[in-house]
Amino acid sequence: MAKKVVKTKPKLAVWKFASCDGCQLSLLDCEDELLAVADAIEIANFLEASRAVVKGPYDLSLVEGSVTTPHDAERIQQVRRESRYLVTIGACATAGGIQALRNFADVKQYTSIVYPTPQYIQTLKKSTPITDHVFVDYELRGCPINKMQLVEVISAFLNGRKPNIAPNSVCMECKRRGTVCVMTAYGTPCLGPVTHAGCGAICPSYDRGCYGCYGPKETPNTTSLSEWWNAKLGVKNEDILRAYRGFNAYSDAFRRQSESYEK
Amino acid sequence: MKVMPKQIVIDPVTRIEGHGRITIQLGDDGVVQDAHFHVTQLRGFEKFCEGRPFEEMPSLMARICGICPVSHLIAAAKACDALLAVRIPPTAIQLRRIINMAQIVQSHALSFFHLSSPDLLLGMDFDPVQRNIFGVLQRYPDLARDGIRLRRFGQQIIEWLGGKRIHPSWVVPGGVNEPLTEQRRNQILATIPEALEIIVRTLDWFRTAMGIFQEEIATFANFPTLYMGLVNEDGEPDYYDGRLRVVDSAGNVINDGIEAAEYHDYIGEYVEPHSFLKSPFYIPLGYPEGIYRVGPLARLNVADRLNEPKAYEEWSAFRELGRRAVQSSFYYHYARLIEILFCIERLRTRLSRPDILNKHVRAYAEPNSFEGVGMSEAPRGMLLHHYKIDEQGLVTWANLIIATGHNNLAMNRGVLQAAKHFVKGNKIEEPMLNRVEAVIRCYDPCLSCSTHAIGKMPLHVQLVSADGGILDEIKRG
Repeated sequence: MAKKVVKTKPKLAVWKFASCDGCQLSLLDCEDELLAVADAIEIANFLEASRAVVKGPYDLSLVEGSVTTPHDAERIQQVRRESRYLVTIGACATAGGIQALRNFADVKQYTSIVYPTPQYIQTLKKSTPITDHVFVDYELRGCPINKMQLVEVISAFLNGRKPNIAPNSVCMECKRRGTVCVMTAYGTPCLGPVTHAGCGAICPSYDRGCYGCYGPKETPNTTSLSEWWNAKLGVKNEDILRAYRGFNAYSDAFRRQSESYEK
Repeated sequence: MKVMPKQIVIDPVTRIEGHGRITIQLGDDGVVQDAHFHVTQLRGFEKFCEGRPFEEMPSLMARICGICPVSHLIAAAKACDALLAVRIPPTAIQLRRIINMAQIVQSHALSFFHLSSPDLLLGMDFDPVQRNIFGVLQRYPDLARDGIRLRRFGQQIIEWLGGKRIHPSWVVPGGVNEPLTEQRRNQILATIPEALEIIVRTLDWFRTAMGIFQEEIATFANFPTLYMGLVNEDGEPDYYDGRLRVVDSAGNVINDGIEAAEYHDYIGEYVEPHSFLKSPFYIPLGYPEGIYRVGPLARLNVADRLNEPKAYEEWSAFRELGRRAVQSSFYYHYARLIEILFCIERLRTRLSRPDILNKHVRAYAEPNSFEGVGMSEAPRGMLLHHYKIDEQGLVTWANLIIATGHNNLAMNRGVLQAAKHFVKGNKIEEPMLNRVEAVIRCYDPCLSCSTHAIGKMPLHVQLVSADGGILDEIKRG
């Protein structure tokens, strides 16, 4: 039998933890880019798209979702051991996700309300980001992630360079698209000043305040923003607290800020 | 020789959205006795929305699912409309219908092309390493490209209207955030001809391809059940609103007008001791006789007609497949393609009306009611959001019934039927696994949705003896 010339393509794996699947589907949303991606890399593990699992190690692992069960806490260790680079995609993997709201309450209230025989549910007290468990090479933010940023991250890691993703705030995106500031113009509370850019400032363009899908930007001044909301816009303390308790409630900056408004 | 009784677990079931697990129980005689799901995680949407302002619900609930966020957006917004107790502007209703149909197209395209076509094109016994969308891309590049383009057609409309494809933010209590501009409308209309060509081409191929799947058609959840779906005043499937109709397996309408607010009188949730998912049933017939199916197959079974030319023709051919109602869940695939065709034609019809550009698209009000229910059709079937609020407009209680949940009983029974037919002897064989998995994929269950409360559902095949000991097990992922 003639020996085939084996091209070694880099191996990409996609892992799902507790999440909505939206971030990993952004990969299928790449459409035209998907064809190029399929050419350039070997999709070694992507259960949403395929049953086959190619053995590790993997050159790049994309991890979606937060850790919420004892089994997942072990599984993420295994994923890390098998991965050269590990990148978290989305708010769940990067900050614990919307399900991390239970970290501020008693998880038993949750299991008993939704399920009559909660003893079957194995769940951890907290929903935690991947970085609480293993070393993460890069965190891609957003609920969900921006697919062009995903393409950038994949191409950066496969080429051994740093992803070129600006860590500044949503305000920059409003300025760039020429959206009038909803906070100064209409007095609408907006998390834009402390929120990581990436969505393209969609909500302000619909005259809505940003609600923080992309989580904290680099060095966010949350205290200053909260004081501004309170003094200039008359936002009540409990509403400020709730604003930070969204999809990124368990990220450091947002968690500390919301906790400072707890009595 | 006595065959050892066993249990089979498939974990996880792949190429479905989410993460699932099935257990098949074998009896003393080695014959398949039962099949069911396991759920092991918790996300807790019903709980953490408590104490939050009701206006947040559409954006918050969209996060239940990254595949059909628009469905949750719509059902949540409708429940909020009921809390405001306002009549929303007619153009806002039309615009919500448009984004909802765009999502049905993209979600069905994902289900058919990306997730199921590998089984259908490459064969269920094809090498699993290649049996995926990338394998289809290599061998049937034209069809794979068609699928990718059709999904993009739907996703692009969602992005144009809602700002982004996943978790868009345009639908709000009282209507939508922004009217449609003429330029956008024309942009969407310009993409329709290509989408139509693709779906017509795909249907032509699928009609002939169905011939080679006779065994699967006969054994993939092919049994009588009730069917449930929303219909409009013309008796067409209605994806946004309308009345909930129930038909029996003979195609007789047994209930024609259940209102959203009275769902509790008709839909019960039975909890089976071995199962982690609740099993909804139709209360007037009781459990388990009240087993029903929702989604594409059900919607085409409950409809009287489709008033779009191409879709009507195709639907008529579909209805010929069953004496009264079409029973085999294999036909979910066919129904999905017909719905794509119907939605594309209907999008063109709706967008061509001049009033779609009307600027009045949102009604404003404070909450006028303490309880609201929103009912609409998600790609996988009827979806219900039910909220209660206090005087401050903060949510005090929420209940969600989602499409995959409705189908739970029928899915379990379908797995059982396929397992009985394809499980031979006491070994876990690859072809059996593939077919049991493929039954699940017919329903296109969205496990992110069905476990909105419970997170994800690893679905695994395990052989367990009658006394409960695990004798053999296959775990994947």
